[in-house]
Amino acid sequence: MAPRIQNSVVSNTLLPYLSTSSTSSSSTCLPRLATTCPSSQESWRSCRSFSSTPAPQTTRRRREMFTWLNTDAAKLRTHTPGSTNYLIRTNPKLKDSPVVENRIFPANPAYRSESILSEELRTEIYNRVVINKKSVRAVSVELKVDMRRVAAVVRLVELEKRMEKQGKPLAVPYARAIHEMIPVTPPEQAHEEINDLPVHRLTNPQIFYPVSESRQFNRVDAGRVFSAAPALEHEQLAKDVANPSEAISRVTQNPSRIELVGKGDEEHQVLQAADVRIPHPHMVTSTRDINEVPNEIRQHPKLYKARLRTQDAADQERKRLAQERKEKQTQRVRPEDSRFEFRINDVVVSQETTGKDGRNARAPGRRYGVPSYDRKKGQVKIPTRVEV
Amino acid sequence: MVVRIRLSRFGNRHQPFYNIVVAQARSARDSKPLEVIGTFNPIPQRPTNLSEKEARTAKAYKEISLDRSRAKYWIGVGAQPSDGAWKLLNLVRCLPLDNKHVR
Repeated sequence: MAPRIQNSVVSNTLLPYLSTSSTSSSSTCLPRLATTCPSSQESWRSCRSFSSTPAPQTTRRRREMFTWLNTDAAKLRTHTPGSTNYLIRTNPKLKDSPVVENRIFPANPAYRSESILSEELRTEIYNRVVINKKSVRAVSVELKVDMRRVAAVVRLVELEKRMEKQGKPLAVPYARAIHEMIPVTPPEQAHEEINDLPVHRLTNPQIFYPVSESRQFNRVDAGRVFSAAPALEHEQLAKDVANPSEAISRVTQNPSRIELVGKGDEEHQVLQAADVRIPHPHMVTSTRDINEVPNEIRQHPKLYKARLRTQDAADQERKRLAQERKEKQTQRVRPEDSRFEFRINDVVVSQETTGKDGRNARAPGRRYGVPSYDRKKGQVKIPTRVEV
Repeated sequence: MVVRIRLSRFGNRHQPFYNIVVAQARSARDSKPLEVIGTFNPIPQRPTNLSEKEARTAKAYKEISLDRSRAKYWIGVGAQPSDGAWKLLNLVRCLPLDNKHVR
């Protein structure tokens, strides 16, 4: 462990204080001390007389940092619009020609920065969704941008328009500078992979599952094995294999009807095949439709559009039903003399919800005898979603 | 002893949240009740997902959740709502119409 008082400077400053308070011969002590110390240190010492922190020193590394900032890194001070301004520019192997380099650190070639949407692409997304009234799904496929990103763009542009209307200042120069220094996707280029399959928790374990050679074992069966569900009936299996498009759309259009397995808290939906779990299952089915009539090229866009339309209609219908169900469950009361509206939800107090000992988590109300960990260290309270 | 329908306070400082409970009148406010029949969040919530036109007229709302059949049952067997609980039950219309004898 380091000593509490680390250098002589601190102990020296303590001396006059102690001597003035304890002894009467202080006047002789003070001027002598002042003469021994340089004046520049004196002023510094007086402001941190009780600090035990060692004085900041000009280390070799610090000196080297400043020489680096003035030589190699001097070119980072200004950026060339259209090329990135990352640390990798200081690499002497790289030529000075302004190219879009998406590597950031010279020593870490695997670390690359993703490009962001350009201003034109952003406006295009907003126009197609809001003005041309296309669905988020359709725009996502057309411009090759993830559906979540499309939705976010629409929300943010809406927010920006509102801020403009309210006369709030926008950080336009900042945005422009960032766009100049970061790789940007132009409108005609694909921005990202839109049909990525998310890794499901149930697929993590490696399972050894013997299957007889005479039996067909496909992705649907694999999903059932992963989620420990019993195998499908042979008739159902044969039907699904005969008409795979119908099997996919049956699930994607009614996701609430997916079979459940497990009991109590362990209850979960049966893991579906990859064709169903990808963000755009309609692309698989419409490609299959098109492959059925490979020579009739004029039919292809029509088939695709029809598939997209049914999927969109199903999505809308599902959303509407959920909203309706929610509305039905809540009663709204607006008292005449109140500033507030009251929303009344029905809950059920029964042995099924409260459990035999009354301590079940599904019981209405805050629970008794359960510690709240919200003040505990490491609890993340950052909201994960914002509704406007 | 009297059985009361009353509010028991949960939540932290400046973040009140109430359970609507059925409890013995002389028991402590936050002690374990006979039954929890609902909740009341007195902090007004801003309604979301509204158009600008709707947002101008929208009122902030307070959430009540209640098992009406249990509330009616407990009033039927003589539980007396406290003042706060009375107001809430009145909003939900769980009190008998001729409610003089209850009060």
